[in-house]
Amino acid sequence: MSELATLARPYAAAVFKRAKEAKATAKWSQNLAFMSAVMKDEEISVVVDNPKVNSSKLTALMLDICQEQVDEEGANFLKLLVQNKRLSLVPYIAKIFEAYKAEDEGYVEVEVTTAYAFSKEEKQNFASKLEKSLGKKVHMNVSVDKSLIGGVLVRAGDKVIDGSIRGQLQQMQKALQ
Amino acid sequence: MQLNPSEISDLIKKRIENFDLSAEAHTEGTVVSVTDGIVRVHGLSEAMQGEMLEFPGNTYGMALNLERDSVGAVVLGPYQHISEGDTVKCTGKILEVPVGEALLGRVVDALGNPIDGKGAIETTETSPIEKIAPGVIARQSVDEPVQIGLKSIDAMIPVGRGQRELIIGDRQTGKTAIAVDAIINQKGTGIKCIYVAIGQKRSSIANVVRKLEEHGAMAHTIIVAASASESAALQFIAPYTGCSMGEFFRDRGEDALIIYDDLTKQAWAYRQVSLLLRRPPGREAYPGDVFYLHSRLLERASRINAAEVEKLTGGKVKGKTGSLTALPIIETQGGDVSAFVPTNVISITDGQIFLESDLFNSGIRPAVNAGLSVSRVGGAAQTKIIKKLGGGTRLDLAQYRELAAFAQFASDLDESTRKQIERGQRVTELMKQNQYSPMSVAQMAVSLFAANEGYLDNVEVNKVLAFEAALQLYMKSEHSGLMDSINATGDFSNEISSGLRAAIETFIKTHSW
Repeated sequence: MSELATLARPYAAAVFKRAKEAKATAKWSQNLAFMSAVMKDEEISVVVDNPKVNSSKLTALMLDICQEQVDEEGANFLKLLVQNKRLSLVPYIAKIFEAYKAEDEGYVEVEVTTAYAFSKEEKQNFASKLEKSLGKKVHMNVSVDKSLIGGVLVRAGDKVIDGSIRGQLQQMQKALQ
Repeated sequence: MQLNPSEISDLIKKRIENFDLSAEAHTEGTVVSVTDGIVRVHGLSEAMQGEMLEFPGNTYGMALNLERDSVGAVVLGPYQHISEGDTVKCTGKILEVPVGEALLGRVVDALGNPIDGKGAIETTETSPIEKIAPGVIARQSVDEPVQIGLKSIDAMIPVGRGQRELIIGDRQTGKTAIAVDAIINQKGTGIKCIYVAIGQKRSSIANVVRKLEEHGAMAHTIIVAASASESAALQFIAPYTGCSMGEFFRDRGEDALIIYDDLTKQAWAYRQVSLLLRRPPGREAYPGDVFYLHSRLLERASRINAAEVEKLTGGKVKGKTGSLTALPIIETQGGDVSAFVPTNVISITDGQIFLESDLFNSGIRPAVNAGLSVSRVGGAAQTKIIKKLGGGTRLDLAQYRELAAFAQFASDLDESTRKQIERGQRVTELMKQNQYSPMSVAQMAVSLFAANEGYLDNVEVNKVLAFEAALQLYMKSEHSGLMDSINATGDFSNEISSGLRAAIETFIKTHSW
């Protein structure tokens, strides 16, 4: 995985530079998200990995699928990936692209898991507190997981803030061993 | 001990009460691959070099390679239960081990866990395994001796407190025997000993422990064992663990002696870890930083001045210097001291005790090669009387070595040459000493005095040791006052000289051997 991220980085950097020049980061973000969604499809990955499918066929197929969603530059990018046999990197490219975008625009993508659903007010309150502690704007993505028992679990990239009852019980288990 | 259930539940209750329930913030990553104890972790962007990483199942690892997208880490201990996709947490701490007085008399593994079945070790303090050695300002020169208890070493290759003296030789030349004798001889001197066994058979380690127990030397000794069956990572960190335990005593104004048995195996373990981490191999396939591996370890053996001790203890200990003396051991292959690791360690240490299998096989034990062995700083620390008397020994042996080749033409040689050869033979014989029988300063002084003053010249070569034994017995029973005074001060005066002379002359007249 780490090696794939290394391979994907130059592509992502190039795409981001181009997107910035064209002031189309949002559009590229959509493009990449769609492409990676396509790549995650099992039937597609079978085709991509199949050595019998030659690159021109694959290009035609990809363009056919993405036709509506992807603009001209996106289509060119797909052609390049097929030519370089790096189509499977698309999800990583998308991920790194998002990271570049977030850094550039000064926000962090945060995944928040709670035991019980937030009310709107709570959500706003929590977001402002997180912004203070992380020192950046946050884009929150909230989900509910009953197995936390109580509290919240925050993930911002590698960083994890575990304020859940489950996490505390695990800590306690370790302390009592 | 009777277990009282209410006590236990009280204890648990108290611990739960004291348990700090704060939301913990940490950095997480996922395991990408596990190969031979080396784990690649994706994420962990904030990991530090040497940081302790937490794996599932109460297992810890150490971050060694920090790369752009991944971290290479070694697992400390078994790694079979770790699988791809597991979460790894940063702990924000460099690997730490317990230190303190409570460890004395115990056998611990490379992480400081007891493995002698004597229960938990009650220590309150921990110390990181990697520390920067004391700087120049904090140091003091070496001027007190560590008595090894072996005539050949204390007389010719003296070791001072805070010195690093390498013991080097082929397998089966008595390297460990010297180390064990040194530990036994520290009984009652206040010097705490740490014996670090790296990559040895468990049976050998058990043997050392048993011998130390038999001679009552375990009470002042800590054994750190990373046996051959343990992972390479543990063998690689064991010396640092032992060093931290020794530094605890040094930093409190006490004296400690640490033995690394042996650093060749540690270098092998480190080579294994490095190659698995895909670091580029260099000479003999060792990575580029094997020199640093040993230099940073041995640099921590030092003598620190009273001001530094006062600073480190927060003013609790005043006017005392602290020292950590290191006796690293290196095993050579076929006497080749110019291999990579031996040359490195020779250049790092303050001298070496060179053991030879030829000498060992011809019955000279300890098999010290007096010509190749040196102590670069020990002379300043040597006890006065031994320094005075031992100087002659070194000279006698050096002259003997030059002339030894002619020994077979004894009849054709002139008087003075013949005398030198005869003296040399007797001194060589006198330097033999049994294992587990270290000698006090006074005992050594008597033997060396007898050789220096020529009292041995009329003793047959094969009777020298018998003569010595009888003389020691006689001195112990008849002149214990003189012996005690030598042991107490270590000075050499005309009074002592004439006392010894009179005693030996009476012994020769009245005793047989």
